[in-house]
Amino acid sequence: MFDYLVLEVRRTLRDTGFVIFGIGMPVLMYLLFTNIGDDVGGRWRTASMVGMAAYGALGSALNTGTGVAEDKSIGWLRQLRITPMRPRSVVIGRALTGSVVVLPAIVAVLLAGGVVNGVRLAVWQWVLVAVLLWLGAFPFTLLGIGNGYRLTAQTTGVVNVACNLGMSIVGGLWFPVDLFPGWLRSLSSYTPTNRFAELGVSATEKAAPGFGTVAVLGLWMLVFGSYAVFSYRRSARTV
Amino acid sequence: MTTTSGTAAATAQGAAPAVSFSGAVRTFGAVRAVDGVDLEITRGETVALLGRNGAGKSTAISLLLGLDDPDAGTVRLFGQEPERAVQAGLVGAMLQEGRPVRRVTVRELVTFVARQYPAPMPVAEALELAGITELAGRRADRLSGGQTQRVRFAVALVGDPALIVLDEPTAALDVEARRAFWASMRAYARRGHTVLFSTHYLEEADAHADRIVVIDHGRIVADGSGDELKRAAGGNLVSFDLAGHGTEGLARLPGVLAVEVRGDRALLRSEDSDATVIALAERGAIRGLEVTAASLETAFLALTSSDAASDGTPAGARAPAAPHSAAARRPAAAEHQAAAGDRCTEDPPAVDRAAEEPAADAARETV
Repeated sequence: MFDYLVLEVRRTLRDTGFVIFGIGMPVLMYLLFTNIGDDVGGRWRTASMVGMAAYGALGSALNTGTGVAEDKSIGWLRQLRITPMRPRSVVIGRALTGSVVVLPAIVAVLLAGGVVNGVRLAVWQWVLVAVLLWLGAFPFTLLGIGNGYRLTAQTTGVVNVACNLGMSIVGGLWFPVDLFPGWLRSLSSYTPTNRFAELGVSATEKAAPGFGTVAVLGLWMLVFGSYAVFSYRRSARTV
Repeated sequence: MTTTSGTAAATAQGAAPAVSFSGAVRTFGAVRAVDGVDLEITRGETVALLGRNGAGKSTAISLLLGLDDPDAGTVRLFGQEPERAVQAGLVGAMLQEGRPVRRVTVRELVTFVARQYPAPMPVAEALELAGITELAGRRADRLSGGQTQRVRFAVALVGDPALIVLDEPTAALDVEARRAFWASMRAYARRGHTVLFSTHYLEEADAHADRIVVIDHGRIVADGSGDELKRAAGGNLVSFDLAGHGTEGLARLPGVLAVEVRGDRALLRSEDSDATVIALAERGAIRGLEVTAASLETAFLALTSSDAASDGTPAGARAPAAPHSAAARRPAAAEHQAAAGDRCTEDPPAVDRAAEEPAADAARETV
């Protein structure tokens, strides 16, 4: 399974589209959003850094599912079924791949924050933000994998992009939730992306993640995890 | 060459045959894709599964590899469930629909697959056997069709499995690539491995397999060497110019099994061509007379029903002399004749009579 993880991580990092849109885009958007306009405060630079790192991680996590759908369509998953590798190892290997490939985007945006935008945090805070965002991205990997097993390659691409943009915007990864109208703000607090960013923000504010944050995120993880298992079980015998 | 550990592992399973189907059935809705197949392949054999498109070859292979389960009957590989045999690393396969894996080099891909098997051959050896040593550093998704196919072959064999299954391995390859591919396949078979490949090219089955299993409508209709199949289909082909004469009575000439008219030429399939020719001479019908031995093609056409003739069967398989189906296996004679309409069948009763001829029985016995 470790071999599979290495193979898949390598394949992902060689994907130009992944590097540009999964890593470059969040960094670019972060720098744009925090350097255009005149009332940009240090607080927004930090909050947006976490939001964009989360956005990058979200895109990378979902991308794992796009890869699954692609491998399904070219018959590679079927080919794996006739090697001694167990089907379960394939899906677990993919989930682990998702956990690895979210790191570059997180690290790149945090670097941009520290180096370019002068965000100042204690070392332990930097590490904690990175680790929390890394762990918190896992539900989205499961969502991507669920889509990948369930849908065709083309549909998966479209659905993943829709999930990515929709959840990023509504979750407040791009713009502060404070700017939202009241109803959208209350909706936002139930989205997994909002709580995902909340995990990182709490670390920058030297606070422990709130109970609500962990609970909402845990619930979404359960939902996405069940979806992934269901999709996988349904299609594993037919890939 | 070498005794491989894959084979050693197989030996450990006792003397069970490499492949064994018994009464295997797989249906999709109303279609019986595999319709009661009994087949045994002993270790070390190279077997061709020959049939038209849609005859049931790929479904049979899916059952064989444990990718699909039979609705009835059983399939065993080395005496165990296909899935277990696959997990034990006894099987390698090249599937029909695979497209190249993206963003990996050939070496990375083959190395990865090798590491999944308990006792693989060295990667360099697999690349060499497949004839792709010089492509090792290239990206697998940036190769020609023939090169891609050989990469897939390397993926199938690098685990050094005791059984290798190739589903239409040369479809879409040009002549040169095909030749190179078969050279690789034979090199692998010589190592004492069991090889099963499916094809709809008769020449390939004849040239590269010890044994040909003909499958049609999900059933095995013949099983033997190329020569045996030719013999089973029986008879020679006697043809001559009609020169404006009618065809009355031709079907009743001695030895004639079936009559067909092509343009102004009559084609008689005969189990006793000498007698047929003498009788023709007596009628004075000898212009452009030709007697040819039954080819594997004729045998194949005789063994399989012709109702699928228009669905993409390679032109070579149906172009020449098709004395149609003396060995009509099924009572579905009506379906059969309707479909053969374009062949301008003369004297339909001859076909019915032919179905009872010994040649047809012989063909059936080989099943």
